[in-house]
Amino acid sequence: MTEIARAEQPETAGQPAAVGQPPAGESKPARVVPGQPDMWVLVLFEALAFTAYLGVYLYHRAADNASFLQSQAQLSPWLGTIDTLLLLTSSLFMLRCVQASRAGQVRAAMVNVVVTGLLGVAFLGCKVTEWVRLARAGHGFTSNEFFTYYFFLTGIHFLHLLIGFVTIGVLVYQLRRRERRSQEIVETCAVYWHTVDLLWVLIFSLLYVVR
Amino acid sequence: MTGASMTGADTTSDGMTGPPAGSPLSRFAWHCRNNPKRELWFAWYATVIFYIIFFVVFFPVTKAEPPPHPWWSDAQVAAWFQQNHHGLLIGFGIIFAVAGMTAPQNALIAYSMRRMSVSRAFAYSYLVMYSLSAVPGLLLLCVVLSVGAMQTGLDPAATHWLFDFAFLSYIGTMGVFLVGSLVWMLAILLDKNRVMPKWFGYLNLCNALTEVVVAPAWIFHTGVLAWNGLISWWVNMVVFGIYTGAFITLLRNLIRREDFGDGPLPDLPSKAAGGNAPHGNTPHGNTGAASLAGTAP
Repeated sequence: MTEIARAEQPETAGQPAAVGQPPAGESKPARVVPGQPDMWVLVLFEALAFTAYLGVYLYHRAADNASFLQSQAQLSPWLGTIDTLLLLTSSLFMLRCVQASRAGQVRAAMVNVVVTGLLGVAFLGCKVTEWVRLARAGHGFTSNEFFTYYFFLTGIHFLHLLIGFVTIGVLVYQLRRRERRSQEIVETCAVYWHTVDLLWVLIFSLLYVVR
Repeated sequence: MTGASMTGADTTSDGMTGPPAGSPLSRFAWHCRNNPKRELWFAWYATVIFYIIFFVVFFPVTKAEPPPHPWWSDAQVAAWFQQNHHGLLIGFGIIFAVAGMTAPQNALIAYSMRRMSVSRAFAYSYLVMYSLSAVPGLLLLCVVLSVGAMQTGLDPAATHWLFDFAFLSYIGTMGVFLVGSLVWMLAILLDKNRVMPKWFGYLNLCNALTEVVVAPAWIFHTGVLAWNGLISWWVNMVVFGIYTGAFITLLRNLIRREDFGDGPLPDLPSKAAGGNAPHGNTPHGNTGAASLAGTAP
């Protein structure tokens, strides 16, 4: 099969074979990573960008630890823990969605991805509640250095999660029609969702937990 | 570019396989006369030359990058204009001379989207957005800072006003880059012609997300989120530098792979030579991609 001929076959859509099954007569090489390898470029870059953001936060925190600790005490560890549990649970359901999709159980995959999305919505609700609570207590984006980092990091993560809902939409679109279903796209969307989850765990650890 | 004489098929049917041996000047002249990709190469070289000039002018010559501190007093801003008087006037004079080179660059990026299997709306919207943003995002900054440098006897408060106006105008176009990156990302991810690798589509998303980070510069005058802050400027600049290097390289590969057809782009000759050569498999028959690529200047 030439490169061009391979390219003319839709990479992501139009695979009529059962989910997770290679087309008849073609032995697909084992994939090294789940989903499109290209998505891992985004994972790497986002991890590096957040490492930079968090590194800058830690550097400034070390310079003024007492003030940061005082502001950190205004955060609700319970809300942060609930946020984390919601996202970790959503990742679990995303994992179950991928497994169901691999097994060709489309209905189960759809149920799991819908639950994932609902948990994501619950996270957003929880996060907005926390922002409103802090704002009412007089802690805003410009209040002090800690809250600047807090609102910046949780805000940029919020944006990542909103993009995550787009990937869930793509995933549902993929699962709904057999002829366009692609396990690779399903896994690519899942990789993005897990990345958002991972970034939150880092933010939660450094903003809420580390003293 | 779409004329019959410019197609690769005509080139190969003429038996043209590459420039004749001779001096670099004669080979260059041959390319100017015969290379079917000469306009694309012109746009690519214009892109590279523009970015080199941009870097030299904005960093060492005018010292407009990294941006000066937004929290400076009137006197400090006036002193900055005084210290960089000649650099600002000479540097931005050069930028005014070459600013038009952004047009071939935008055209080449739009061309990459026109070569994809997606709606033309992607290419046109990108072209319009970036063409318009060059005015506030580049020219206005240069005009206003040149005025500040030229008017040495100006009231320090007015000089400070020019300083803020110039840099806010510059960073205010980041939203255009954000949307532009998302447009290019969508085109790449939807494309079936393999014009750009999918990873670059995702890199566009990373770039767009770092453009968002610049927005707080409208609120903060000091700290990491100010317009010269560690997060707003330095992290953003690293990502943008990688992004720019990647797209310049990928546009070069696109030109080398171009077969002037409308189906999937063939691989680079080096890959094709390893086995599955694409000759004869493109929608326009034997376009001789390797020989066309061989005519690259």
